[in-house]
Amino acid sequence: MSRLGYMMLRRLLWVLPVAFGVVTLTFFMARVFNGDPTELYAPPEATDALRAQIRARLGLADPLPVQYVHYLGNLVHFDFGVSFNTGQSVAADLSDRLPATLELGFVGLALGIAIGIPAGVLAAVNRERWPDFALRGFTLSGMALPQFWIGLVLIWIFFVSLHWLPGPVGRLPIGVALPPKVTGFLLIDSLLAGRPDLWGLALRQLALPAITLGISTAAPIARVTRAAMVEAMQSDYIRTAVAMGHGPRAIWFRYSLRNALLPVVTLIGGIAGHIFAGAVLLESIFAWPGLGQYALQAIERSDFAALQGFVIYASLLYVLAFLAVDLVYMLVDPRIRA
Amino acid sequence: MSSDEVMAPPSLPTSQAQVHARPRRRRWRTTWSLRIGLAALVFYVAVALLSLVWTPYDPLVPGIGDGYDAPSLAFPLGTDRLGSDMLSRLMMGARYDLGIALTAVAIALTIGSALGVVAGYFGGAFDTIAMRAVEIFQAFPGLLFAMLVVQAVGAGIVNVILVLSFVGIPDYLRLARAEIQAKRNWQYAEAARLAGNPRWRVAFRHLLPNSVGPLLAFTSINAAFAALVTASLGFLGLGLSPNTPEWGNMIARGQDGVMTGQWWVSFFPGLAILGLTGSLYLLGDALADLADPRRRR
Repeated sequence: MSRLGYMMLRRLLWVLPVAFGVVTLTFFMARVFNGDPTELYAPPEATDALRAQIRARLGLADPLPVQYVHYLGNLVHFDFGVSFNTGQSVAADLSDRLPATLELGFVGLALGIAIGIPAGVLAAVNRERWPDFALRGFTLSGMALPQFWIGLVLIWIFFVSLHWLPGPVGRLPIGVALPPKVTGFLLIDSLLAGRPDLWGLALRQLALPAITLGISTAAPIARVTRAAMVEAMQSDYIRTAVAMGHGPRAIWFRYSLRNALLPVVTLIGGIAGHIFAGAVLLESIFAWPGLGQYALQAIERSDFAALQGFVIYASLLYVLAFLAVDLVYMLVDPRIRA
Repeated sequence: MSSDEVMAPPSLPTSQAQVHARPRRRRWRTTWSLRIGLAALVFYVAVALLSLVWTPYDPLVPGIGDGYDAPSLAFPLGTDRLGSDMLSRLMMGARYDLGIALTAVAIALTIGSALGVVAGYFGGAFDTIAMRAVEIFQAFPGLLFAMLVVQAVGAGIVNVILVLSFVGIPDYLRLARAEIQAKRNWQYAEAARLAGNPRWRVAFRHLLPNSVGPLLAFTSINAAFAALVTASLGFLGLGLSPNTPEWGNMIARGQDGVMTGQWWVSFFPGLAILGLTGSLYLLGDALADLADPRRRR
């Protein structure tokens, strides 16, 4: 096998022990920290026998190691157990809620990249001049402000004051039926169902949470892009390119930006890992029925199975995002293979 | 910082003008970041201390105004739904958000860098185990972890501080380990060893002090993160008791007001957070510049 192939394989296999660690940690943490959920499901006047029965139904009667082995066995065929809250299997719950999170995440992240990278380039090529300072103000506040506050302020401006965009009531206005589910993405499903009106409604609902997400992701992206661009523009190969008479555009975009993109890719990978795990606070403000809200409810109600399922999903997503970044690196950057 | 970076020759300035212009500009920017960041931080500490002895009104007493009073001369930042004075509550909130963030970060810095020095200098089995543990912990979403633990062990300042410091430890461990590994075989460390110092002394008295710059720079950034998580926990109602004037709590309290036009209740606590975290970021940037003169910006 080629050296590159071997490196990639080793990197891929490394995911397994990390995943195992995450699963184990989650299981014991949920058990140790989150107390006994029997109380939440037993009526106050319940007899001890009834409580024991409930415990058995919840799978909590066995000793901890037995529960753990049982849990691992089920995980192997993607059985995360049943949520106490919804009564559905956790896997089904997660996949029901995934599209909402993904749709918001994709649009938000796309906005963040579309704003962040050009902003970073603009700041770098105007280094220490006013566009750089203005953008620095933007990135600093984008990173320093809590996402939920940005969301609230946008709601106040665009919904409460200007009435341009709809209020925070979820993916569609109240009372509007979902289009038949094909992909779960409303922006796609509504078109597939031949309902452009629905597409418009969904887009308007999506606008504010996506812009909030876009602002708070654009800030770190712009910052890292700027730093990497500045670094690249001071390198020897750029000096050579300048000496050879290339114009500024070629210098900025063809040489500097392309070389500056690697750290930006790393950052975007990390951000994507976070976003697709569901923005807990953002979703709770905009009543967005995604994974973040699900996790919040699971925490509030000590819903072990749901919580574990979610945490495992979120952590693996994170691990996979970095795996993807590393693999892209190995393919793109010849220096790593050496 | 990777060892490659240390070894790389500094790139040569391209013209005579740059030789003089670049360092001066960088210094200008660094010193101003440092000044603004420090000044703002001192301001917050001063407000927090002031709130111990004086606030315009009692921050915890409702019914001082009629409820949702707009900003006016009597109430410069308005009042909340219950009629408590917003300015007084904001001032008192500085104690919580600033105090929690700084304490948590101090604990994480101490424990994390000590572990990192041991892992980086002595290596071996401890290093392997520590790094694996770090990798697993870092796969956990930090905010979620904090929510989970606080919900389970109960709200309260001490618990929030402990959780935040625990979440921070892996980062410091990593950073300190990388620093020590890079410097372990530098000449001054070699000299210290040859002079007969025991190994722990070389690690903690010679190598660690030389890594303080990057660690402090990260601490500042990390404190901003800790303040944001504190506010997030407060916003979700998981952090401190609901009546505590912690800024995240206050934003949550004002959420209904935003929908009906009383924007000030949620708006001003957000600005308070922006000032605190923003100044910590500025400070962190400046410290990173100072710690690494080669860092080009």
